Amino acid sequence: MRRQFQGQGASRGIALGRAWVRLPDNLEVGEEHIGTDQVEGELERLHQAIDHVRAEMQALREQLQDVLAPELGQFLDLHALLLDDPELLRGLDEAIRHHLLSADYALHLQRERITARFRAMDDAYFRSRVEDVDQVIGRIHASLHSRQHGRHGRAGEILVAESVAPAELPRLQQQGVTAVVTTAGSPLSHSAILARSLHLPMAVGVPGLLQRITDGEVLTVDGASGEVVVEPDAGDLRRYRLRRRAVVRELRALRRLRREPTRTRDGIEIGLYANAESPDDIAQAHALGAAGIGLYRTEFLFLQRTEVPGEEEQFQAYRDVLLAMNGRPVTIRILDLGADKADRTGLALRDEPNPALGLRGIRLALARPELLRVQLRAMLRASEYGRLRILLPMVCARDEVRRVRAVIDRLGTELREEGHGVAEGIQVGAMIEVPAAALALPTFIGDVDFLSIGTNDLVQYLLAADRDNDALGELYTPLHPAVLRVLRDVIRTGRRHGRPVAICGELAGDPALSPLLLALGLEQFSLHPATLLDVRRALRACDLARLRSRLPGLLRAPDRATIERWMERERPAIDQA
Amino acid sequence: MIERELTVTNQLGLHARASAKLVQLLSGYGCNVTLVAKGREVNAKSIMGVMLLAAGRGTRVLLRVEGQDEQACSDAVAALFERNFDES
Repeated sequence: MRRQFQGQGASRGIALGRAWVRLPDNLEVGEEHIGTDQVEGELERLHQAIDHVRAEMQALREQLQDVLAPELGQFLDLHALLLDDPELLRGLDEAIRHHLLSADYALHLQRERITARFRAMDDAYFRSRVEDVDQVIGRIHASLHSRQHGRHGRAGEILVAESVAPAELPRLQQQGVTAVVTTAGSPLSHSAILARSLHLPMAVGVPGLLQRITDGEVLTVDGASGEVVVEPDAGDLRRYRLRRRAVVRELRALRRLRREPTRTRDGIEIGLYANAESPDDIAQAHALGAAGIGLYRTEFLFLQRTEVPGEEEQFQAYRDVLLAMNGRPVTIRILDLGADKADRTGLALRDEPNPALGLRGIRLALARPELLRVQLRAMLRASEYGRLRILLPMVCARDEVRRVRAVIDRLGTELREEGHGVAEGIQVGAMIEVPAAALALPTFIGDVDFLSIGTNDLVQYLLAADRDNDALGELYTPLHPAVLRVLRDVIRTGRRHGRPVAICGELAGDPALSPLLLALGLEQFSLHPATLLDVRRALRACDLARLRSRLPGLLRAPDRATIERWMERERPAIDQA
Repeated sequence: MIERELTVTNQLGLHARASAKLVQLLSGYGCNVTLVAKGREVNAKSIMGVMLLAAGRGTRVLLRVEGQDEQACSDAVAALFERNFDES
């Protein structure tokens, strides 16, 4: 019989599938005692399960390295520490060794004990960490179980569970699970954040569902509205098919845009470039018809390893990007490491009191001449294979640009003497992310060939607000009059001096902000390939002349609410067909 | 054995990120480390223990370190507290 449930949407998308009902494991554990001869075996089983979870987390971290949002990295660190917690391990050891309990039951008791202590805390923030503790113990438990009677997801199934740990999601998707529904959780949980980046539909907080659904029943899930229908009737299925068709149509319309130019309604060409750091991103950028690579981050070559990559290795990496883009411009950024990024090469300073204001970007490069030299030599050698542009991060004064340019000139001569080919007139640009660089731009614009505004850092520095600090709430926002003014000024100065200006921060990738950026004068966007087509569609629906005429109103806006109203008024009508 | 009194002065207190930093730091030392606050005593190498202290800003904490590298360890912990756990 048809049953309908209402939860919260956590990750957009719809699915129709068979229910795979997973009851919470604490319901399944009974008190189990073991004999003294079983102690070692039971401990071994427990440690294998813990090793398995550790490997699973490591795999997740590697898999997500490219897309890892800072908050996900932090939760992975936290979960790794919880997994190795000496008190947890001691408690388990004692329960098995001295009280002769099975590993499953020992884990169950520890979970009850620890979560009870967390739930008893006064502070809501600390209390909410119980979710992390519970997920880690739950993973160990699931891993213990799967050795006996656990099962994998099957293609066409929708997982229905009390909660799902982030670490499970990528594997569920690989097994063919098409959506996830949980009775607990919130759209702000780490699992929900991850589901969205995996494009896996998810509804959370669907109360009572587990008691009223049986394994194998058919259900539909709407990950946007949070609606779940078990045993859908003919009407539901028809509605589902219509929705499905609409979703597919929209996808197809987006795909058609791959070969379309990025041109506003009034015929102005806008440059749409891709940000990239992995070979995957480059392939996507090419397939989506990006005008080039607007920001190629070289950090990934350096992170996750213990020694600095040599010239030859770097040369090959840069050459391959240039070859892949087949003559379209590729902007490679000089290593932008800071104490906030966990490199293992030991390049960045440890324990800087204030990494955001520390030795990072071009400062680190200039402080480590050998590092800069190797990287620039590799780039210059690659320059013959395409159109290379070199981007300098964290510039704040003319002197920094001049010093790097002098090194580039010297290395060019050196390489030619060694018999290497080096392209003529390689363009050198500056990232504008430090307010000082934005304000003093007229003093050094003659020394650069192009500009790229890094809005993530620029906004953080302008507003003195750390974007990862939850306590600041909405203080970190690009929709602040100061941000809009600085963007307008930088773009205008660039245009007056004939220097192209791009934005390569997250702002550029949000189609809702496309009209605003056009109004501010922006003509080049550089963004992650994931939203490139959405932004192209938004730009094609914009009327540039009209938006520019609306700029004074935008600049007069005194606060975020007024800026949002402006955006609402100027939102382009996007043709869905 | 070294005992040292420290005060939590960072904005958010010993929340998840700060606790993680402390535990990560201690993983490099062989000594036993205990934190005492609000009448409770916890193993400072246990992330759960540290979070369960729920030490908010302004909490006074007694650090107790015992082992071969106790001096270096207690200095490093004190420095981390003084740097407000590198929060910006």
